[in-house]
Amino acid sequence: MTDLTQYPPHEDWHDFTSLNAKAWPDRVEEHHSLVPTTCFNCEAACGLLAHINHETGEIDKIEGNPLHPASRGRNCAKGPATLNQVHDTERILHPLKRVGERGSGEWERVTWAEALTDIGSRIGAAMDEGHRDGIMYHVGRPGEDGYADRVLKSWGVDGHNSHTNICSSNARIGYQSWMGHDRPSSDFANAEVIFLISAHLEAGHYFNPHAQRIIEAQTKGATVICVDPRLSNTGSKADHWLPAWPGTEPFLLLTIARLLIESGTWQQDFVRRWVNWETYLRETRPDLPVEIESMTEAWLDEYAEYTPEAAEEICGVSGDQLREIAEIIGAHPTKFASHNWRAAGAGNLGGWQTARCLFFLNVLTGSVATVGGTSGTGWNKFKPAQPKGAPALHEWNELSWPKEFPLAYHEMSILLPHFLNEGRGSLDVYFSRVYNPIWTNPDGFTWLEALKDESKVKCHVALTPTWSETAWFADYVLPMGVGTERHDVASFETHAGRWIGFRQPVMRRYAEIRGEEITSDTRTHEFNPGEVWEENEFWIDLSWHIDPDGSRGIRQWFESDETPGTPITVDEYYGTMFADSVPGLADDAKAAGKTPLEYMRDVGAYAVPGDVITPYERIVAADAVADCVKDTDGVFRKPGTTGTWDGTPSTLKDMKLAPLGDGSPAVEVDGEIKEGFPTPSRKLELFSDTLKDWGWPEYATPTWIPSHVHHQDLDMEPATDGTGGNERILLPTFRIPTLIHTRSANSKWLNEISHRHPLWIHPEDAEKLGIEENGLVRVSTRIGHFVIAAWRTEGIRPGVVAASHHMGRWRLEEDKARSFGAGKAELTNDGTSWKLTRTNGMTGWESDDPDTERVWWNDTGVHQNLTFSVQPDPISGMQCWHQRVRITPGESGDQYGDVVVDTAKSRDAYHDWLAKTRPAPGPGGLRRPLWYARPLKPSAEMYHLGTE
Amino acid sequence: MEPTGIGGRVTRLGFLLDSDSCIGCHACTVACKSEHDVPLGVNRTWVKYIETGVFPNVARHFSVMRCNQCEDAPCMTICPTNALYRADNGVVDFDDSNCIGCKGCMNACPYDAIYINPATNTANKCNFCNHRVEVGLEPACVIVCPTHAIKVADFDDPLNQATKIIGREDVAVRAPEQGTNPQVYYRGADQASLNPLRTAIAADGMIWADTTADHPTMPPDAEGVVARTTYTTSHQMTWKEKVSGYLVTKAIAAGVMLVAGLLALLGHSDVQAAVGVVPPMIAGVFLGLTGVLLVTDLKQPARFHYLITRGSWDSWLVKGAYILMGFAVCLALWWIGGLTESAGLIDVMVIPTALFAAGTAGYTAYLFGQCEGRDLWQSPLLLPTLLAQTVTAGGAVYAILDLLMDVPDPEAIRWVLLGGALSTAALIAVEITSKGTPHVEAAIREMTEGRYQIKFLIGVVVGLLIPAALVIIALSADSGAVLPAVAGVAAIVGMWFYEDSFVRAGQSVPLS
Repeated sequence: MTDLTQYPPHEDWHDFTSLNAKAWPDRVEEHHSLVPTTCFNCEAACGLLAHINHETGEIDKIEGNPLHPASRGRNCAKGPATLNQVHDTERILHPLKRVGERGSGEWERVTWAEALTDIGSRIGAAMDEGHRDGIMYHVGRPGEDGYADRVLKSWGVDGHNSHTNICSSNARIGYQSWMGHDRPSSDFANAEVIFLISAHLEAGHYFNPHAQRIIEAQTKGATVICVDPRLSNTGSKADHWLPAWPGTEPFLLLTIARLLIESGTWQQDFVRRWVNWETYLRETRPDLPVEIESMTEAWLDEYAEYTPEAAEEICGVSGDQLREIAEIIGAHPTKFASHNWRAAGAGNLGGWQTARCLFFLNVLTGSVATVGGTSGTGWNKFKPAQPKGAPALHEWNELSWPKEFPLAYHEMSILLPHFLNEGRGSLDVYFSRVYNPIWTNPDGFTWLEALKDESKVKCHVALTPTWSETAWFADYVLPMGVGTERHDVASFETHAGRWIGFRQPVMRRYAEIRGEEITSDTRTHEFNPGEVWEENEFWIDLSWHIDPDGSRGIRQWFESDETPGTPITVDEYYGTMFADSVPGLADDAKAAGKTPLEYMRDVGAYAVPGDVITPYERIVAADAVADCVKDTDGVFRKPGTTGTWDGTPSTLKDMKLAPLGDGSPAVEVDGEIKEGFPTPSRKLELFSDTLKDWGWPEYATPTWIPSHVHHQDLDMEPATDGTGGNERILLPTFRIPTLIHTRSANSKWLNEISHRHPLWIHPEDAEKLGIEENGLVRVSTRIGHFVIAAWRTEGIRPGVVAASHHMGRWRLEEDKARSFGAGKAELTNDGTSWKLTRTNGMTGWESDDPDTERVWWNDTGVHQNLTFSVQPDPISGMQCWHQRVRITPGESGDQYGDVVVDTAKSRDAYHDWLAKTRPAPGPGGLRRPLWYARPLKPSAEMYHLGTE
Repeated sequence: MEPTGIGGRVTRLGFLLDSDSCIGCHACTVACKSEHDVPLGVNRTWVKYIETGVFPNVARHFSVMRCNQCEDAPCMTICPTNALYRADNGVVDFDDSNCIGCKGCMNACPYDAIYINPATNTANKCNFCNHRVEVGLEPACVIVCPTHAIKVADFDDPLNQATKIIGREDVAVRAPEQGTNPQVYYRGADQASLNPLRTAIAADGMIWADTTADHPTMPPDAEGVVARTTYTTSHQMTWKEKVSGYLVTKAIAAGVMLVAGLLALLGHSDVQAAVGVVPPMIAGVFLGLTGVLLVTDLKQPARFHYLITRGSWDSWLVKGAYILMGFAVCLALWWIGGLTESAGLIDVMVIPTALFAAGTAGYTAYLFGQCEGRDLWQSPLLLPTLLAQTVTAGGAVYAILDLLMDVPDPEAIRWVLLGGALSTAALIAVEITSKGTPHVEAAIREMTEGRYQIKFLIGVVVGLLIPAALVIIALSADSGAVLPAVAGVAAIVGMWFYEDSFVRAGQSVPLS
């Protein structure tokens, strides 16, 4: 009858005529401008299309951007829910400055100029005092690529601190130790076997783009395998769900690897060409001839104990099922796409071996950057060069990069409050940027103690679109935009292809479309709700306030080239970036009759041309390696790079560090000069020299490291006298498809769907432990306990309990910092003892939105992270999230939502975990391997521990 | 309506909901909320989760719930004001401006798909985003879905992918036994997820949302429950005490006139007070109360006149309104006959009044019969039960009058009360003991053993057994008017309790 289309044609986006839904069936025509932007909820950066009503000038709805190469017009629930975040009646609309004590909840409205002046002068003063390490920018998921890094670099401040070690440090080091790239890029759409140690159909990085492609492949017949101790939606959709004991995933993977090796279904020629097997044999089996044929024997010996029978015992999954899976994997060479990001990686001591062992299967099946295989982020993520880049830093901030963790994958952010307590430093200006460490990080009460202490944190600036537990304790709360209110560029390795997406303040763009003049004096907060700003312009203006006359050498990086003497505008900044640094964009824009910036403002995203299949096989011209020396393994070593460093500290100052790898440009394979991988060997590293050289020789190859919550070490069976037996493994990290950590509490639609997180417990366990149906459960950790309600389910392995981490938000005052997810709570403190008590759950309230009175749910969950001590993996630095807990029925006096913690115990735990490390210096007296990736990679000489 | 589409369908646009591809992400739910500004607490579409199996052989199943775009849409049939209508493109659409908020559609729909929008106090549901279809766009839920699990089936287009799948693959529909011929098809949906009688919310609630009393569920221990509902949305009961009250008030109005008619036939039409004047006055008052209850139960009471001005003759709400008006006219004439001591006029009015009284009593059986979502109310015994209750009510009122005034032939009245009570009891006994559809049996369980057991017992014991016993004593001992009057009061009070248990139990069976 009708040829229906999904989206209005692009040519109509500036004025699309549609019919008003509410007036229907009366035909009331409406005109909208459809302005593309990028979602700012999870990290996937899906495309959005804001529908701006010409009559009201309001955003009516937010749909997907059909021209976005990754999200392809589709979104998860959080995309359209951005509208709630825009219209949130409780949002922070103006810059606020604390009045009274920290955390007293008293604020005064200040102007942006006042805030910039004060913060700028504080930063300037810290610089003048030579205390650049006192300036720190602590970012949650950035949702952008490189802008903030550029700012810090321009300031000469090693102040980048991230959330990575509560998120992905383990996965990163696992991947990076193989291929140099620290993130997997899976070509799910073309895979024949998909192996997920994560819940990518509902969560994880790139949920929506991944889910599209995983289901696409499954529909075409791919086998989906999911390892997860609890039944995620992904586990449910999988053809094989393997609920392995938490922390035994590497064992399971090595069992499959062994089956592939044993059956001869591994891709010997791929391994011969692209794996550093010679090093492996030399290092581990000097008794065997250095030939590929030796590998079978060597591997079968190394992995002798990893049999299906042993896996049944250790992992708790069926050996026959593993045999079946190994057969399927072996039958689909080059088409094995796998992924691990958090899950087992984020949960366990040694969890980084999960990604390492998982990628081992990619290596064995030759499915590395193939069609249907798994590639590396560096090949699929496109990061355009940031204009006006400052030179490398000459700083090293030990608050973020302490010598105890030379291999830490990103900053040791979870330990920051402990470092401050120990007097390792103090912070003059601490920016928490869309980040809520009091709530999100483990050991939140220690964070609270530090953030309340004005001698440790002199000025705390919270850059946030919405209230958070952390912002409550800040000195400034500066409102930053949501996905429709800010400029950013983002690109992610969502599939086999490269793209960039442009986030823009849609009302600013709408003004521009209508012909309003945007000048160098215009600021985005003039178009956003209230005075909500964006970080790009904020950083530019703040930099001018830090260095008003240019004498600190900072202003130059934020000065317009077009109009010298004025701050650079976002238009100039992105105009330059899009014109100069994105291959193909300028031509395509020209063909469309637009400037590259206009093109991005109108289309929102761009698929960067170029083949990304097996890039390591690319031939490198002989000229390009003419100045190199070929080493005995065929690697072309370039003078002046890490690859040729002789270990002498004095030569570091002339060394140029490569962003990825050691600067060696190529490797010879079968007589051809190939690009290879950004590892020191330019090959996939089955044997990691780095791990060996930096003190962890026992983990140089893919290995299982028993977790801190290994089930065989737990007291799960009562003694004969009936005592004990109540230890279980708590999985506190799992995500659900509708929420996004602490960012989504301001969405009514999302919180209506999901607002409670009962403790999943197998009925058998509940019986054994005396937990009633829906009864209260006291979950005791090393440093305290929390009280939660039980949810009996067959969807979890007996011995394991779990509660999603999204819920448990709180606020301290009834009528302030309201949201649809934070319940009113009270905080009491006596010395190192802390208690959080739930006052009431969610109740409706009066506002301009009648829906706030229609809130029908009460539960808001329990803040469990407060009761977790820091548990940094000694290698990656990753918080090992899984908890060894005692599960007991709620005691008399226990109330739902109670959280009790003793921060003195937190400190003990911190010291115990710190003792597991093997501190720097490493070889050459270094703080960190020179080839390792690092945000704001400083100059090479800063790596030397002697150089303070 | 004439079939116009391919395959003889009236509905020409349907959905294929592909549970094989659905990942349970709720994007459709939110996109719909956004497109239509659906308030908190109600939904046009949602994703139901159920869980099956025993560890480690466990699964969670997802199925998207919404209006089924029925070929024979019971919501349209019952809608008294054509607020629900079939659009030119075959979509079952609605027009807020016509809706009086009677909630009949919510009981007619076997899919829990219709809700009262608290912002407009009108009935809303998925209308296939017809305002989008009109400008050539697919519905909001379709375009947002990450996995293309929601597809538009264009039955006029044989090349349409969803139409092909519906034609050639294993697909299922919800509640086919309701005869609505739904045009929303499921692929890969677990059978239990489409049959709400097979799942229940366990005592410890749902996976990540609060469970309220309005969340539809079977009792977890009910026979036939094979799976656990772990996520669904709430659906408020729509017809409650006012509707139960309306059943009683109109039974009184109709009953008193039936007994008055009987007395007239027995030759007492010349008794001015007890036959000529008082009965139509009592009936008038209770008919008025009936009207007040009906109008105040509307979510848009000021629009009650739409029943006449925009009435749809398919709806028994409209037919009922005319029957009630006809009955009112009869009452007026009867009353005039009484006032003017015109026994002749009363004799003339006996037959039409009795017919309209029976209509007033009985039309509700046809109205409830249009509530395709409420199997309990579809019982063929409902009409005789309503009539028997009306007789009981008439006898009861006269038994009370007997205490206050001179009533002719009190013994006949007592026999009427006894006969009414016993026949009502017999009909209820047959109803609750005979084999019905699973929905009927679930409702009866809820009525007789579940949430409404106490009301039901009061209804039967106080409303039927005690009056019957008292009347028997009165008849056998000739003990005067007091016992029958007490029996009459008990019968009327008890009747409300029974009706309330019946009305609520009928709506207690989960439909989604």
